[in-house]
Amino acid sequence: MRTNAGNLKKGEFIFYQGEVWQIQKADFYSPGKGSALMKTRVKNVKSAKNVDITYKSNESVETVDVESVEMQYLYKDTENIYFMDSRNYNQYSLPLNIVGTVADYLKEGQRYFVYLHDEQPISMRPPMSVRLKVISTEEAVKGDTVSGAKKPAQVETGVTVMVPLFVKAGEIITINPETGQYGERVKE
Amino acid sequence: MQIHTNPQNLKYYKVYLKVEEGVHSFLKKNGYLKIDVPVLSPALIPESYLEVFKTEYRFFNRKEPLYLTPSPELFLKRILSKGVGNCYSLVKAFRNHEPPSSLHSFEFTMLEIYKLNSNYLDLAEDLLALLRHLCNQIFQKDHLVFKGVIVDFRKWEKITVSEAFRKFASVNERELFDRESFLRRAKKKGYVVDGYSYEDLFSQIYVQEIEPNLGKNGFPTLIYDYPRQFAALAKLNKDKKTAQRFEFYIAGVELGDCYSELTDWKEQEARFVEEEKKRLRTGKIMHPVDKDFLEALQYGLENCAGIAIGFERLAMIFAGAASIQELKLITITDNL
Repeated sequence: MRTNAGNLKKGEFIFYQGEVWQIQKADFYSPGKGSALMKTRVKNVKSAKNVDITYKSNESVETVDVESVEMQYLYKDTENIYFMDSRNYNQYSLPLNIVGTVADYLKEGQRYFVYLHDEQPISMRPPMSVRLKVISTEEAVKGDTVSGAKKPAQVETGVTVMVPLFVKAGEIITINPETGQYGERVKE
Repeated sequence: MQIHTNPQNLKYYKVYLKVEEGVHSFLKKNGYLKIDVPVLSPALIPESYLEVFKTEYRFFNRKEPLYLTPSPELFLKRILSKGVGNCYSLVKAFRNHEPPSSLHSFEFTMLEIYKLNSNYLDLAEDLLALLRHLCNQIFQKDHLVFKGVIVDFRKWEKITVSEAFRKFASVNERELFDRESFLRRAKKKGYVVDGYSYEDLFSQIYVQEIEPNLGKNGFPTLIYDYPRQFAALAKLNKDKKTAQRFEFYIAGVELGDCYSELTDWKEQEARFVEEEKKRLRTGKIMHPVDKDFLEALQYGLENCAGIAIGFERLAMIFAGAASIQELKLITITDNL
């Protein structure tokens, strides 16, 4: 499939120099003269290398057909993260440098979407938000709440995030796994 | 579209306010008059590459189109021609078809400054002094660090567009100023050239290969003398190949665009007609052309230089923010 570069969106996959790349950032940009441009940052799904490509906004770009399959997250080691397709019990792995810091927020046993191209996993779709339990955080001290004072809190996957002062250990919170940003408190 | 309140941006917003204060105090001290201008206008300067916002004034049966101004230029040049002297505006500007991103927004703040009896490089000196003033006010020193890049405001790193193309894109001067050779060179580099113009490819290579290198050598970069195709409202140099125009960069971020202003009204009128035709051809919103602006040029615009600076970008550098959106307590985002 082909599309105009102006339509490219974060998360989509394109072919560039014969390899598959995922769009990390796509900014429409209209310079003083000449065609409007699409400034993209793309990540190679094999090497995790980032490259900036500037397209003319109406330039034709070849997109990659991918299948998005819901899989169970099994575990991770120092290099890879492992999933299982529960339809056929096939196991797949993705290098941690492809998944990025999103992996720090994933809970074993939960289901996430993995992208396949030619039946090979190339990336995963980070969930919009994950629900994680706060394991430890200091008791609130009085602070300047207007400026959104924050304190560190460790969540059940082991990673530390910044949360508002009112959050207590044992509570469940939502986090955007792409930014590590706290969302809200939720009931179990 | 959605409205967001961002109290977490307060610390960046406070720097934004300091930059604003610094701009006003510096310009006042240096004899520039602050001009308050409207943001709604019944006519505009035709610019082929940008889209405008159109609205309507109504009074009973009367209806008249009004346009949100994409820059205060038309007002400032009129008032300049009436003899107010050196002046500036810090005002909201509106550009349609510009999705919000880290460096863009369809509604933003523009700092536009005009200096009489000066050319673009004269104004560059005042600009450098302004940047140094801001840096001193905020950091009590002449340099800052943005995204790991040191930027010292004691001098410019100056480079011509032609030198930059040779240095960063391996395009020599002969190729740069000859349409055919330029397109051939671009094709060899792997760019798609079929169906595209010199301007299209120039912009693409400029953004891809030149821009990322600008403002990264310890000083802000002033890149000047653009090919005449990019003259817009700027005077041409004696060589007739280049226009008296510069842009300036800090750490790869473009912050402003400066011209020795064209005062030849006939040339200006010809460029207006050309730009209007292009607007029609590219399906842009057609608006009345500000004819009195031409008259102002005809009867009184002295030699002057003008610069337009993206104010949020400027503040972003001093705040150390990653995006202009981080400076705002209230943002409108496009969720598409």
